[in-house]
Amino acid sequence: MYQLFFTPEWFNGFDLVFEAIILIIALLIAAYSWKAYKFSQENKFAYFSLAFVTVALSFMFKIFTYGVLYFSPVREVTATVLKPLTGSGLQFADLFYRSAFFAQMFLMLVALLLIFFVAQKSRDRLTKLYEVSQMALFVYLIFLISFIANFKYVVFYLTGTVILGLIVVQYYKNYLNANKNKNTFNVMLGFLFILIGNIFFVFVYLYNQLYVFGELFMLVGFLILLRTYRKIKRRSNHE
Amino acid sequence: MSNKRRSRLELIYDILLSIQNKGGTIKPTHLMYKSNLSHKLLNNYLEELIGKELILIEEIPSRKKKVPSKVINLTDKGSGFLAEYRRMREFTDAFGL
Repeated sequence: MYQLFFTPEWFNGFDLVFEAIILIIALLIAAYSWKAYKFSQENKFAYFSLAFVTVALSFMFKIFTYGVLYFSPVREVTATVLKPLTGSGLQFADLFYRSAFFAQMFLMLVALLLIFFVAQKSRDRLTKLYEVSQMALFVYLIFLISFIANFKYVVFYLTGTVILGLIVVQYYKNYLNANKNKNTFNVMLGFLFILIGNIFFVFVYLYNQLYVFGELFMLVGFLILLRTYRKIKRRSNHE
Repeated sequence: MSNKRRSRLELIYDILLSIQNKGGTIKPTHLMYKSNLSHKLLNNYLEELIGKELILIEEIPSRKKKVPSKVINLTDKGSGFLAEYRRMREFTDAFGL
């Protein structure tokens, strides 16, 4: 059976709980950003919301495919439901896994790229036409990377690491520009943890227990983002 | 005040904030100076804000004048708008948007 990479068996299932928490956090941030868009009608909020919805969708694909891989009852139900697609003897099962992993990787890379573009200040951006053509090129490259990553998963995590590195630098600049505001620091820290988690994933082929550290760092990163979001949301009406 | 051109939303925020800073009630002339807007532009915005129930105009009888003088009051919905705008700005700053 096709598998993206081998995870430590004792950890199977825990990672799905982590991913479910991350999915909820991503949806909460997306929902608030959408609310801000409805309030201000500024497109940047809609793009930011779309980025986090895409993160959530990516994790949804991951939970589904890994769930099917880990648990045989889920696998049996899925095999029955998807029989018309995967064939009676599951001869197309490999194709099904590849498609699901492709969707997971493609969506995650698109989301990271979108966050990177939206987090750039408008004065740093290029002209609109140039920006669109640049994004189209990036989306094509991400499509290509996600395809290749199905055969060599390291490519996906390496690309993710590069984009996350750029996002962290962007948020470090934002932190300095905002007079070292605590919320901007927390957002930078959150993405830094996600970046470290991603670096661990790159080296899972050397030692599969690194997957656990990767998942832990990723979860802590998103929890820091959640903390910042909650802090902003809890701000009283009379402040 | 910065030279940067204010967006529509920023203008509305500045108008409502000027009223809030005056304890929730302000005279139209004071508001014009505080919000740094022309008479015509301010009236346009005030009409919009009244329509959205963010402010209301109150007429106060004056002993000296025959015509009652007008004051602008900030409604609860207006205070809510200010709080939501501040939250949104904090979100914008934190996430570098």
